[in-house]
Amino acid sequence: MSQSYDRGLVEDFGRWREFKAGMWAWIFHKFTGWVLVGYLFTHIAVLSTALQSPDAYTTTIQSLESLLVVRILEVGLLAVAVFHILNGVRLLFVDLGLGLESQDKSFYASLLLTGAIVVASVPTFLAGVFG
Amino acid sequence: MAERYSSFERGGRRWLWQRLTAAFLVAVLAFHFFLLHFVNHADEVTFGMSQARMQEFTYFSLMILFLLTATFHGVNGVYNALVNQGLSGTQETAVKAVLVVASAVLIVQGVRTALAWAGGVPI
Repeated sequence: MSQSYDRGLVEDFGRWREFKAGMWAWIFHKFTGWVLVGYLFTHIAVLSTALQSPDAYTTTIQSLESLLVVRILEVGLLAVAVFHILNGVRLLFVDLGLGLESQDKSFYASLLLTGAIVVASVPTFLAGVFG
Repeated sequence: MAERYSSFERGGRRWLWQRLTAAFLVAVLAFHFFLLHFVNHADEVTFGMSQARMQEFTYFSLMILFLLTATFHGVNGVYNALVNQGLSGTQETAVKAVLVVASAVLIVQGVRTALAWAGGVPI
């Protein structure tokens, strides 16, 4: 028999103090999704300089990569992408009905693993920008 | 009677496609980041290096599929998020039209760029 469940208005972010792990996972997944789709459009726009000339493309990319702020934004992009990937895998398992009892633990694991991968990647992402 | 809390219409296939593209993107996005930041370094990028990769049919077709799936997954995600926030009626129809046009522009521009690198379809 089906039962009704009053979840409350999840779109009301004023309730954030009441949010549990699943709600934070939902918010973070949505936030990282918005960032990634915004970046997708920006990425194609920047890559489109290849349509102008090979030199225009190479100069544009190398100029951007010489800026520290761009490298820092790339680390941010990595953090956003890694979390979205790991939490996305978690969601696929949830959709399949696997690990439903440990949804909160798998969310915390996604956060920790994201942090570890991002910290470990910082040297690679900042290589060469200081001279 | 249970209420139904879903952004997806009953019997629709977008729910399934969002999951199928997700599974594909998990692997390809990780590969993309790894190849272009760890194997090749961002500050060493040149048109010639991108061209060499794009002239391989396997890489070219993977990137086209990446563009198509990422555009669908991203734009469909935006649409679902807006419906989730209460978008409906005429506004929903208008937003849907804008998103479809934006997706088409993105895909056309991405394919044109890929073809510029590869110098045509690399077959």
